[in-house]
Amino acid sequence: MIPLEHFLVVSAVLFSLGVYGVLARRNAVLILMSIELMLNAASINMVAFAAYTSPERFIGIIFAIFIITVAAAEVGLALAIILRLFRNRRTANVDEVDQLKW
Amino acid sequence: MGMEQAWLIPALPAATAAVLILVGKYLPRKGDWLSVLAILASFAIFLFVLKDLTDALASGGEFAPGRSGTDWVAFEGFKLRIGFAVDQLAAVMVAVVSFISLIVQVYSLGYMKGDSRYGWYFAVQSLFAASMLTLVLADNLLLLYFAWEGVGICSYLLIGHYHERRSAAEAAKKAFVTTRLGDVGLLIGAILLWRSVGTFDLSDIFAAVRAGEVDQAYLTVCVIMILLGAMGKSAQFPFHVWLPDAMEGPTPVSALIHAATMVVAGVYLVARTMPLFEAADGTLVIVTVVGLITVFLSATMGLVMTDMKRVIAYSTLNSLGLMFVALGSGLVTAAMLYLFTHAFFKALLFLSSGSVYHSTDELDIEQMGGLAKRMPVTAAVFTVGALAMAGLPPLAGFWAKDEVLAVTADHQNPLVLVLVLISVVISALYMTRLVLRMFSGEPRNVKVYEHAHEPVPAMKWPIVLLGVLTLVAGFVVFDQVGRLMGFPGGFGEFVFSGEGEVFKVNALVMVSSIVLVLAGIAGGFYFWWGPALPAQAAARTLPRLYDLLRNKFYIDDLYQTAINRVVLVVAGAVAWYDRVVVNDTGVNGPADLTRYGGFLLKFHETGRMPNYALVMTLGIVVLAVVAFIVGT
Repeated sequence: MIPLEHFLVVSAVLFSLGVYGVLARRNAVLILMSIELMLNAASINMVAFAAYTSPERFIGIIFAIFIITVAAAEVGLALAIILRLFRNRRTANVDEVDQLKW
Repeated sequence: MGMEQAWLIPALPAATAAVLILVGKYLPRKGDWLSVLAILASFAIFLFVLKDLTDALASGGEFAPGRSGTDWVAFEGFKLRIGFAVDQLAAVMVAVVSFISLIVQVYSLGYMKGDSRYGWYFAVQSLFAASMLTLVLADNLLLLYFAWEGVGICSYLLIGHYHERRSAAEAAKKAFVTTRLGDVGLLIGAILLWRSVGTFDLSDIFAAVRAGEVDQAYLTVCVIMILLGAMGKSAQFPFHVWLPDAMEGPTPVSALIHAATMVVAGVYLVARTMPLFEAADGTLVIVTVVGLITVFLSATMGLVMTDMKRVIAYSTLNSLGLMFVALGSGLVTAAMLYLFTHAFFKALLFLSSGSVYHSTDELDIEQMGGLAKRMPVTAAVFTVGALAMAGLPPLAGFWAKDEVLAVTADHQNPLVLVLVLISVVISALYMTRLVLRMFSGEPRNVKVYEHAHEPVPAMKWPIVLLGVLTLVAGFVVFDQVGRLMGFPGGFGEFVFSGEGEVFKVNALVMVSSIVLVLAGIAGGFYFWWGPALPAQAAARTLPRLYDLLRNKFYIDDLYQTAINRVVLVVAGAVAWYDRVVVNDTGVNGPADLTRYGGFLLKFHETGRMPNYALVMTLGIVVLAVVAFIVGT
């Protein structure tokens, strides 16, 4: 059986990639995709812990399904926002959208 | 109907006042008839109560005041009552207050006709009467204090009735603030007594004090506080300054304030709490001294004032001072007799001077002269009132003044008696002066003379009635007269039934008082008859003294200086503290700090999403590191 640490390392790498994407990317769509990476990293953790600690119960797995559901909803919402943003500003670059301040 | 219904006496005028204030302007004649009827009904009920009281007294045995009323607030061991008690002292006061209020209100029907706040005037008159009746019937100090303040606010409203006139508004304010100083004393005294005895009930307090349950020094403080209240309301030195200024009100109000309500409240309070004054050593001496100072200040000032109403106001101060001297002897009867008769002749003096003012629109006696030809009835009754004030037999004032002199002779230092006798001369002097300058001689101002005329019946008959009463009211001192009227005896017998403090004739005092009064009147004729040359000569020979008196001993100026230099400066400092420290620093300070902090911080909001994302990430990293360190 593959040790738990392997799952955690994969998850951590995936999460770090997501963080890097969120911080470094300028395009809103790509930032959204990076956030999805982070969510998936969390899901992997959930499933892995569930399988290793209490496989007879499905708590972690159910949680992962919930995360997928929420992520889908979030993507729908975020894409709608990005679409409106693009319609208004002819851009999807987040560093060009800085009017929401004093 | 008996003593148990005594609560109706103040309740009727109070209800009337409420009705007049709320719906008075929809009533025919603005409801003045309602006000007069209510006070008339109060007076009628009082007669039944009086009958019940005399029956209770005649039946012998232990007399207990007739109680009525209701508990207002009742806790375990603590009770506030709206309670009324009828005893002899209260009966005398109710007689005076309800009767004089009735006369004054009838007179006002004529005097205030056409006034722009006619209905309001009668509403406040009713409230005034209700407050004063509550005050004299109250069986506990708290209700008494409540009514006391009611009297104060009503006098404020009535003195300032013509509040468009600046002087009237100022006078009302002065009266209110000056009496307020004393009122605080009364409240403190009442609370101190409650703290020690545990009740506001007057008879319980007296019983506790008699039983010696209250510490002597503590009691003295309480009594002095109560005395302060009495001095403020009764305009005793040093609070006397408000009373002459209170002449700014309509003249019937002056009559009411001076004769029946307001100023006699202080005398009543001292008489009512006399057991406390007796128990607290030395306080009666203070009462006497305060009374004497007031007598002398007012008598001498009365000699030089030229405003008709002010001279009468000073004569009131003079009378109140005499009442305080009488109370200072520790006896109630003489002071109450003086109060009783004083009510008639002082109301008479004010109302008849009101008739003069109403027709001539003139207050300065130097502009009058010879008015007797134009208004003989007014002149006659005014003269009767003035002679009663001077104390000429057989008028009401004589018997009362003689009683005061007799108790002073019996119970006080001879020096006090001498001083009071001197004041008798002075009061005879200035009352003679007033009559001579107003009614005799040649008219000094033709316009005033031509305008003068007898008043309308509503004003004329009340003063004629008062004139008759001034002639006869003094006879109540005699036991035979008292029995004839259905009382067990004379006035002294009635007010102090058990202790037999009866009217005495002190021949020496009586003769000397008559001689002095006649001397005063003769002196008045010498100084002020005709063109008043001797008086002018006297004023020229003693210019310093004349100026001192004309300027009211500079006491008003002294107060004004004190207010300007001390009160306003302190008030300014307090206002500065409030404005700068409390408001600007304490309240606005944090608000400004927050606003300025927000102003500085807002520039950290770049609006760029990557910055926020970076800060969030760093925050999570920091939290993770902290959790890692703390966790291990």
